[in-house]
Amino acid sequence: MFNYIQKVIRYRKMTSSGGSGAKESPEAPKESSDELSEDLEANIQLIQGIIVESNDLNIRRFVIGKKVKAAIIYIDGLVDKTLVNETILKPLMYHSEMDSPPETVDIDYVESELLFVGGIDSKQKVNEAVNKILSGDTVFLMDGAAKALIIALRGWKMRGIEEPETEATVRGPREGFTETLRINTSMIRRKIKNPNLKFETLTVGDRTKTDVCIAYITDLAKPELIEEVKRRLNKIKTEAVLESGYIEQYIEDAPYSIFATVGNSEKPDKVAAKLLDGRVAIIIDGTPFVLTVPCVFIESFQSPEDYYSRFAFTSALRMIRFTAFFISILAPAIYVALSTFHQELIPTQLILSMAAAHEGVPFPSLVEATIMLLFFEILREAGVRLPRPIGQAVSIVGALVIGEAAVTAGLIGAPMVIVIAVTAVSSFTIPAQLDSGTIIRIVLLILAGFLGGFGIAIGMFALLIHMVNLESFGTPYLMPIAPFDKSGLKDSFIRAPLWTMLKRPKGMSMDDVKQKKPSGPPPFNEN
Amino acid sequence: MRINKRLYKIAICFLVIALLSGCGTSRELNELGIVIGVGIDKEEESDAVKITTQVVKPGQVSSGGKGGGGGEEAYANFEETGRTVFAAIRGIANKSSRKMYFPHNQVIIIGQNAAKDGVTKYLDFFMRDPETRLNVYLLVAKDTAAEVLETKSKLERVPGNSISLMLDSEANAASQAIDIRLRDFKESLQLKTVASVAPIIEVSEENGKKTATLNGTAVFKGDKMVGTLDKSEGRGLMWVLGKVKSGIIEVECSNGNLVALETVRAKGEFSSELVDGKVKIKVKISEEGNIGEDAGTEDISTLDEVAFLEQQNADVIKSEVMAAVKKAEELDADIFGFGESVHRKYPKEWTSMEDKWDEIFPTIEVEVEVEAKLRLMGRINAPSVPQ
Repeated sequence: MFNYIQKVIRYRKMTSSGGSGAKESPEAPKESSDELSEDLEANIQLIQGIIVESNDLNIRRFVIGKKVKAAIIYIDGLVDKTLVNETILKPLMYHSEMDSPPETVDIDYVESELLFVGGIDSKQKVNEAVNKILSGDTVFLMDGAAKALIIALRGWKMRGIEEPETEATVRGPREGFTETLRINTSMIRRKIKNPNLKFETLTVGDRTKTDVCIAYITDLAKPELIEEVKRRLNKIKTEAVLESGYIEQYIEDAPYSIFATVGNSEKPDKVAAKLLDGRVAIIIDGTPFVLTVPCVFIESFQSPEDYYSRFAFTSALRMIRFTAFFISILAPAIYVALSTFHQELIPTQLILSMAAAHEGVPFPSLVEATIMLLFFEILREAGVRLPRPIGQAVSIVGALVIGEAAVTAGLIGAPMVIVIAVTAVSSFTIPAQLDSGTIIRIVLLILAGFLGGFGIAIGMFALLIHMVNLESFGTPYLMPIAPFDKSGLKDSFIRAPLWTMLKRPKGMSMDDVKQKKPSGPPPFNEN
Repeated sequence: MRINKRLYKIAICFLVIALLSGCGTSRELNELGIVIGVGIDKEEESDAVKITTQVVKPGQVSSGGKGGGGGEEAYANFEETGRTVFAAIRGIANKSSRKMYFPHNQVIIIGQNAAKDGVTKYLDFFMRDPETRLNVYLLVAKDTAAEVLETKSKLERVPGNSISLMLDSEANAASQAIDIRLRDFKESLQLKTVASVAPIIEVSEENGKKTATLNGTAVFKGDKMVGTLDKSEGRGLMWVLGKVKSGIIEVECSNGNLVALETVRAKGEFSSELVDGKVKIKVKISEEGNIGEDAGTEDISTLDEVAFLEQQNADVIKSEVMAAVKKAEELDADIFGFGESVHRKYPKEWTSMEDKWDEIFPTIEVEVEVEAKLRLMGRINAPSVPQ
């Protein structure tokens, strides 16, 4: 069904692209491939011609050794000014006072002898230099040199490392990613001190020029997977990338599906674990949310804490999460189907109390359930967007109104309030499927309202067919279940003890058959 | 253009699903008249059948509901006569705001007249209609069924519900009235030689209030009621069928005081034998019980006394079984299914016996063997008076 709709839309896109064509990709800031000349002023003119006059652009002209004119160009606020003064301006300007300056001061001499900076690169193209300036690097230009030195002295005000709000844990590291790419990569590097951990950066977004970094472990991630991620990232044609969600929507396998086939996390420990499974992480500058691919359905039910707690309780939790997921998508539908189609399936005593509660309710069960679900979604949305103290007030008022007043007034039956409340609470146990769950729940409810249990069966089959058709970067979406993988089941409905999980998830890493290196029961068990 | 056509196709698929979904029309709970009890009576003068349906008023029945009743009845009885059961039931639609809904029906009560007239024509609807259930309890009213459904229960709010709960608890406490579901009744009707039974319910008056009481068992020959078993004969039948779950047996101990023994476990089975062309049935009953009450002051916890009580107990059981057998032979109704046992063991001989079973049954010899055991003395071993 979904596939069919997808095909229809794809078809429509194909037919329509003949006419107006795809959206013209916006010209990057006057794309020019001009080479730098040996004339300093001309070069400055060239750069000023590209970067519009903006008062955060800082051009500092000075003289080296009383004869060679030079300049540094940087964006105020993106560089560490103290370092610029200490490591560029001071040695270069102080050089004029030196006892025996060389006869000629050329740019290579400056680079090799004078600058006290670690990261230096040189560029000959103007637009490359401009991009570096905009990214926060400092550009050094000098009379008589047809190239620019790119000095990495980036430094700006940034948020500290805090505990992520979206993924709270009781046990486990509290740090979360920040908005700065470099800090994020360093946090992953600190978790995986492996020479094979590789970061590769590319730039996406014609205007925003956002740094996008691919992270993987070279001997674990499949080369095809890495190639595929790079291919998709390179194909992105967009003006702006402001959050990882932009990238996600451009690279996902099934853009029309209600299921996300790209995972995201704010927690370095979670991302590190995924890298160790052979997955690829995509870190985007400017957001603490790191993407991981491939992403399969079962991951929604796994929490990093599962691996930090002991296995028996965790296994019970897994099963509770699965139960909660099914309650959250099915409970209103089943309630409506039972109470309007299959009353004979309800035990007699129960149907009598249900009938008593429904006595005098002016709406059919389907309408009743829809109103309640709608109201719950409104309440949730209101609570999320508002500042916390007001959000709480909204929840209290809302809960009182739907929970108490509506029942007392006889507008809604009490069992319906219970069903919707159970549904709502259950849906929060699996945050990763919150949005898909909401849609499934409403569709199933409507099917149940019109067709009863038959409708639920149709809905669930359609859902199942859709899900087995999904893939995420070459990995089937229902991976350990369909196609079936026995060893994968150790980490799905239950979580087996860590030392029994000898294999990496199938179909993901390069050596899915190879054992993880050191494994076995805890050493103190060996006599 | 083509896309529109495809979308039409999808829409048609959905429409077809919606239209072809058979009898799955949705009904809200407050459109249903949930039937809890059905009474079937035969009109005295005419051949017409009078159907009484007992429908719950949900607003009154649940303590969770607003108001909780306030003295108003939690049920309504609808009566309608017709030449057929189905016509009469549909006729109720003229009197009721809600459609009669049968899957939650607890009891079908057949009036005495209807039972004697032959129940097949009255029960056919309840066996055939997909909305009714075969696990509904079947009872025979001592007088009319409508009257039984009008009685007040002291504990439950709906009489129909009360009667079905009464059958459940009786089976677990006294085992004197057999509980028969429509399914069992249908099965025994289909067997030619087996006589069906059903518990009898009567209306008794207590302080001016009418209550329903279980009393005895009705015996059917074919589909017509031909006689009744009293309570102890009823239990005699239950012993043979192995249906006794619990019950109290009163016996006298060696010095004449009454002792009440409680049955906690009982097994009953029978086998048939053909000796010189004569049918001989061997009934074997094993029972285990406790001493529930001792009305005397002597210590009865001695081995001799226990053996004596066990013997007494076995004698009572045997006499109950023999009474039931005697009554069945008098009525010439094979309520135990002895014939089926012969059928299974001697299939060849059975072919010639089947048609003559009515003549054979009253003459068969029944041998009863009872093994009764006493297990526990209760919390006190000896009476609480000093010797």
